[in-house]
Amino acid sequence: MSINKTAQAPRSFIGEAFKQFRKNRLAVTSFILVIVIMLLGVLAPLIALEDPVNPSPENRLQPGFWAGNFDHPLGTDELGRDIYSRIVYGAQISLKVGYTVILITAIFGTLFGLISAYYGGMIDLILMRITDIFLSFPPLLLALSVIAILGTGLENAMLAIALIYIPQMARIVRSSVLTVKELPYVEASKSLGAKNSFIIIGHILPNILAPSVVYLTLLLADAILYTSALGFLGIGIDPSTPEWGAMLSKGRDYIILGQWWVTVFPGIMIALTVFAFNLLGDGLREALDPKMDV
Amino acid sequence: MNILNYILIRFLWAIPTLLGVSILVFLMIHLIPGDPAQLMLYPRGTPEQVEALREQLGLNDPMAVQYFNWLKDALFFDFGKSVSTGSSVISEISSRFAATVELALSALSIAVVVGIPLGVIAARKKNSLIDYLCITFSLGGVSIPVFWLGLMLIFVFAATLGWLPVSGRISMDSGMQIVTGFYLLDALLIGNLYAFGDAVKHLILPAVALSTIPLAMVVRITRSSMLEVLSQDYMKTARAKGIPGRLIIYKHALRNALIPVVTVLGIQIGSLMGGSILTETVFSWPGLGSLIIDSINDRDYPVIQGVVFLATLIMIVVNLIVDVLYAYLDPRIRY
Repeated sequence: MSINKTAQAPRSFIGEAFKQFRKNRLAVTSFILVIVIMLLGVLAPLIALEDPVNPSPENRLQPGFWAGNFDHPLGTDELGRDIYSRIVYGAQISLKVGYTVILITAIFGTLFGLISAYYGGMIDLILMRITDIFLSFPPLLLALSVIAILGTGLENAMLAIALIYIPQMARIVRSSVLTVKELPYVEASKSLGAKNSFIIIGHILPNILAPSVVYLTLLLADAILYTSALGFLGIGIDPSTPEWGAMLSKGRDYIILGQWWVTVFPGIMIALTVFAFNLLGDGLREALDPKMDV
Repeated sequence: MNILNYILIRFLWAIPTLLGVSILVFLMIHLIPGDPAQLMLYPRGTPEQVEALREQLGLNDPMAVQYFNWLKDALFFDFGKSVSTGSSVISEISSRFAATVELALSALSIAVVVGIPLGVIAARKKNSLIDYLCITFSLGGVSIPVFWLGLMLIFVFAATLGWLPVSGRISMDSGMQIVTGFYLLDALLIGNLYAFGDAVKHLILPAVALSTIPLAMVVRITRSSMLEVLSQDYMKTARAKGIPGRLIIYKHALRNALIPVVTVLGIQIGSLMGGSILTETVFSWPGLGSLIIDSINDRDYPVIQGVVFLATLIMIVVNLIVDVLYAYLDPRIRY
């Protein structure tokens, strides 16, 4: 038996990572949770009970299933909108914002990190000084400043949040590239006359994929938290949008009066989603790169 | 390299960063699409008022002149006048500064006083129930939005149980007199114990809400660094010498385990500032966080610039202090 096992061909990198990941029960649970939340968002038009934006003042602030109200299982908000339907559509918005932020961060962070590490010298020095400057702002204040300049709106909020992470991403990519760059096979490739673009795409990018994927998953959790914070502050996002944070922004007025459902359910969704992506990121880190510690 | 040289070099490196920050903060007002003066006075501004404001803000000078004038004033904490109240930006900031510092220090104290013992206990009883609870808390604590936690605390302790006030820093009838702006200190200075109790009651919920994320971090880091230290050889030596268990933990292990905790607390300052903006909004706490939200809503750019510049300056200084402290705490670190 044991001889057989050692004689087995080594698994591929992905296969090994998948095996590692499957062993981590918490990570698998979080992965399923992430899938469920994504499905909520994708299927929102089918599973929502009502339009999430149109107010119906005659239904305002009704309690939900605990009071036997199954038309509005999670109750209604101060404008009579069904909270369950808004939460379901909110999943769409949070995930959309999250993925857009990740995409912007991944593209620009990788670009700057690659340029900085690969070309070195003055370019590296200047780019790293610029990341230093951006990293010295308190993150939420940086996002708020961007919104103060560009004005409110979901698109501007996404840009503002991405700006927090691009410098961090650039740093991570830069340091990974610096390590990979010195490896013998890159040297070999270079001495065989490979072009810069070929070395970057063929040799360097695949090697920085693992730390980037882990970082971006953890970043997704953070980005969702920041989006909801901007929504709550009423600064990033139009208050009629069914964004989870924005749903809480009037919450205090009603929670004092005992109408807790307006606030409780969207908050649970934020916490659950952020928690799921955090766990998923931790699980991926263990599976892909046990040495790494962000 | 000795530590003084190290401090000097770190300090010198901070200068170009700070200059970069000042350029970005200065540019803020010029990056707004449209005429900032018109935007700030919208919708009431007459053309004459707009022109007067442009003159007051120096917007008619060449860009480089404007920047140097702005920087010269900013170095003395002069950020001009608030557009909405007309008083100087620095007086707006200083009247609210103490409120934010009081809140942030209380939250940090909770994180340290509760977090370190919890982390130590979790490490000593690894894989026990209390260890699992600590791990779950440290994972969950960073996922809960601080503003939602604040609202839940209000729901339970203010609205339902009625033990603590919903918002603000002090009750109207407490007889509070402001001396330093730190209400806990002021109440003691004027010898008004009733006001002291009242200020504490107002402080509890926001401080607890704000402390969650740093607390979760402190528990996590204390636990893992304690586990690492406990497995070191010098711990075995200490045990072999017959030093009592408690003394080993608190004198030999904890001292070494605390070094990473200091760094983590330093890194947390940025997220603490963000958290304090949200906490202040939830609890109507009259600090810098609510000032910046109000000024963004009012498009009061001089105030926004002042708060952002000052907050970033504080963050840079704190990071510098943490770096130096780190080198001091751990003599093995030599740069």
